[in-house]
Amino acid sequence: MDNRKSILAIIFIFAFFMTGLLIYPQSGWTKEKQPSGKVIIFNAGSLTIPFAKMEKVFEARYPNVDIIQESAGSRKCARKITGLKKPCDIMASADYTVIDQLLIPTYADWNIRFATNRLVLCYTNTSNYAKEINAQNWYEILLKKDVVWGHADHNIDPCGYRSVMVLQLAEKYYKKPGLFKKLIANRPQENIRPKSVELISLLQTGNMDYAWEYRSVAVQHELKFVELPDRINLGNYKHDTFYKKAVVKVTGKKPGTFLNKKGKSCTYGITLLKNAPKTQAATAFLQYMLDAQGGLKILKDMGQPPFIPCRVPTAEMKARLPKALRDLVEVRE
Amino acid sequence: MITIRGLNIDLRDFHLRDVNLDVAENEFFILMGPTGAGKTVLLEAIAGLIPLMSGKIFIGEREITGLPPEKRGISIVYQDYALFPHLTVLENITYGLHFHRTDKTHIKKRLDRLLEVLNLFDLKQRFPVNLSGGEKQRVALARALMVEPKVLLLDEPLSALDPNFREEVRNALKGLHQSSTTTFLMVTHDFVEVLSLAGRAAVMNKGRIEQTGHVKEIFEKPVSPFVADFVGMKNLFEASFHETYAVVSGLKIEIGRIVDPSSRYLAVRPEDIIISREKFSSSMRNSYSGIITQINNQGFYYEIAVIVKNVSFKGLITKGALIELGLEEGIPVYVSFKASAVHVF
Amino acid sequence: MKREPFFWITVSCGIVIMAFILLPLIQMMSAPSAGMLKETIQDKDVVRSIWLSIYTAGLAALISFVLGTPLAYLLARSAFKGKRLVESIIDLPIAIPHPVVGIAILSVAGKNHWIGQILSELGIRIMGSVTGIVTVLTFVGIPFYLNAAKAGFEGISPRLEKVSRSLGASMSSTFFRITFPLAWRSMLIGIIMCCARAISEFGAVVIVAYHPMIAPVMIYERFEAYGLKYSQPVAVWLVSISLLLFLILRILTLENRKET
Repeated sequence: MDNRKSILAIIFIFAFFMTGLLIYPQSGWTKEKQPSGKVIIFNAGSLTIPFAKMEKVFEARYPNVDIIQESAGSRKCARKITGLKKPCDIMASADYTVIDQLLIPTYADWNIRFATNRLVLCYTNTSNYAKEINAQNWYEILLKKDVVWGHADHNIDPCGYRSVMVLQLAEKYYKKPGLFKKLIANRPQENIRPKSVELISLLQTGNMDYAWEYRSVAVQHELKFVELPDRINLGNYKHDTFYKKAVVKVTGKKPGTFLNKKGKSCTYGITLLKNAPKTQAATAFLQYMLDAQGGLKILKDMGQPPFIPCRVPTAEMKARLPKALRDLVEVRE
Repeated sequence: MITIRGLNIDLRDFHLRDVNLDVAENEFFILMGPTGAGKTVLLEAIAGLIPLMSGKIFIGEREITGLPPEKRGISIVYQDYALFPHLTVLENITYGLHFHRTDKTHIKKRLDRLLEVLNLFDLKQRFPVNLSGGEKQRVALARALMVEPKVLLLDEPLSALDPNFREEVRNALKGLHQSSTTTFLMVTHDFVEVLSLAGRAAVMNKGRIEQTGHVKEIFEKPVSPFVADFVGMKNLFEASFHETYAVVSGLKIEIGRIVDPSSRYLAVRPEDIIISREKFSSSMRNSYSGIITQINNQGFYYEIAVIVKNVSFKGLITKGALIELGLEEGIPVYVSFKASAVHVF
Repeated sequence: MKREPFFWITVSCGIVIMAFILLPLIQMMSAPSAGMLKETIQDKDVVRSIWLSIYTAGLAALISFVLGTPLAYLLARSAFKGKRLVESIIDLPIAIPHPVVGIAILSVAGKNHWIGQILSELGIRIMGSVTGIVTVLTFVGIPFYLNAAKAGFEGISPRLEKVSRSLGASMSSTFFRITFPLAWRSMLIGIIMCCARAISEFGAVVIVAYHPMIAPVMIYERFEAYGLKYSQPVAVWLVSISLLLFLILRILTLENRKET
């Protein structure tokens, strides 16, 4: 009697496990023409919300694909690839130069520029002086002792060093020598956070009055914001020569080393990594993302002006793109 | 000295119902009763260590019902001594002095006297962990009496001691009581202690006081079947009463006096029953023929159960008498007792 | 003497557990070179963050001790309706995910909450401050202190306190003369546990305060920015210094054991 019971138990457990295996699809088991498997994307913090929407749409279209996203400051994303050798298919950066400087040529071959952005000063209606602030007096308000304001960590997040550049440009634009130093003096280190998006929860809980963020992020989070003149908001490539006047020191590869970052208009870049685990599904995603009716439309709706079509700087780079993507891109500096 | 009126207590597992008690000054009063009767609860209520639902407590003329324990002047000694393990014997004994103001010479005299009476001089610097049970209990007594309390409560102070220590501490208690003006209120199970120490006592059951009075009275004239059973009146029967005799299950028993016809029980102490092989010719009015049903060895004596008609009597006999009379189970004997030994209630 | 299987099973389990704990720790402690360790401890930022970690954890333990002792005593001595609920609530901080703790504390501390407004008016700042860090550490550490202290009080017979009261001592005199001297070791263990828990906290602190930087945040930041090579030495120093402190504390209490 006992033997029979044990045999039944073993059969039951075996059947249970087999069912379990069948229910969970294993990547690599099915050889379908449809893209399938995992796609790992490292994206810049400001792309989190639009990319989340793209993920939903894409996974609905191709149910066998599982997109996994990790968002962080763009320089940190690059370090995860180069330093920690974390597996990754696609990297989308808030500053295309990060890809150029840190990933090409060892980890990537090409870099598609796909959108722009500009910096704004965000706040809520419980912020101090919320009713008085405007495009003319913003820097006076940020100098006040009872105002708590901050930006992202310039060593980790491009939004961070860009915010600092805006302040440097403001000093030159408004012709107020010493303004930059005074502003930084009123922004203690405690008001810096690794990712610019963290500043938003501080604004929303009333722990911070003002924070520097991308316009797209402010729109996506329904925050109030002050629009700045084009010459200082890093949003218009026509003003690149003026933007160049801002220089920020950021940390280099090892602790103790530094590089200089020069001001440039915010241009987002995206690339497929050379040793990417799953190229077919990843390429399919890029195809969708760079399509004017697909990903680019989502970006536009969410307040982030895309380049339509996206661009690469040289014909040579265009030739290195995967065949499926070449038609979506034009050559333009 | 102690007056309690209408005390009611409702704790998780313990209850006191409508307790009334009077203890005179400098009396040695004992509380008896089975486990769970509420004796310790009553002691702790008097000391102010547990909250009451209703009732009043007086010490002398002063009402202490609402007072915190530290203001009552009542000391308590527990069964497990509760000595402060981190203090020496001397520090334990003088602990209460931190909170009472008395002049130094008076204290020295009192301390020396207590140490001498309780034989604690050599133990002054020891810690409780290095003392025997008897020594610990003596320290606990000294500590309690050092503050000259009006009332000393003792919760079964001897039951945790080895039998050879018990007599020693019992005598110490008696001596201490007689040489002071403190009122002693003690809880115990042990009848030897009751008989040797107390003047008056009370029997408790299920949170109520069943009988109060002099010890002799309680032992010889219990007022309820419970008390009768508790004090060891083994021959307890329901009976119907007619003038000077009673009938128990058809057996007629002479009482020799007129009793209240509404009484319901009679009892005879086992030591008042005489067992013999021949009919006992004496003035004993009650004498019956019966058969021995059981002989139980109780250690120092034997308990004999004899059945007379339908009634089972229990008597006591020494080992010597057992052998001399040649008693065995099943043999016929005579059971005799005086009419005056019959207690009616 | 032939030993039965039960004995061997016990010993094996013990060895497995010791190995489970020691192997990763030994790996971590031996990974950095002596040169790396020297370089790291000479970095002013590292020293500052380790000191901040120890100092804030100690403060959190002290606050737990002062505020928590009365509650621990109450829970040990009295029975009241809802006592089990209170005890469960005390254990809650242990179960809540650490980032959630940080977010919750930030929400209460911000100007959008009435408490945050009062704090703001008093000039007290929680976000990005030592005050905020100590608040978080106290929140996550206090259950450990409370449970240890409560167990200590429960181990003291209430009769000792009753006798003390009957001899004339008030509740507070009884506590300081009888209860505390008998329970202080359990309270000290509670403080050590609370401190240990607080020193290692990361997820809750990083949300409330990135700067000033406690050691766990620095370790994580270095790990993300520069990799293992630069973060491990900081971890080794933090663990070594904490270990030393706890060892000293335990030795001090062991010394006193001799007198009882």
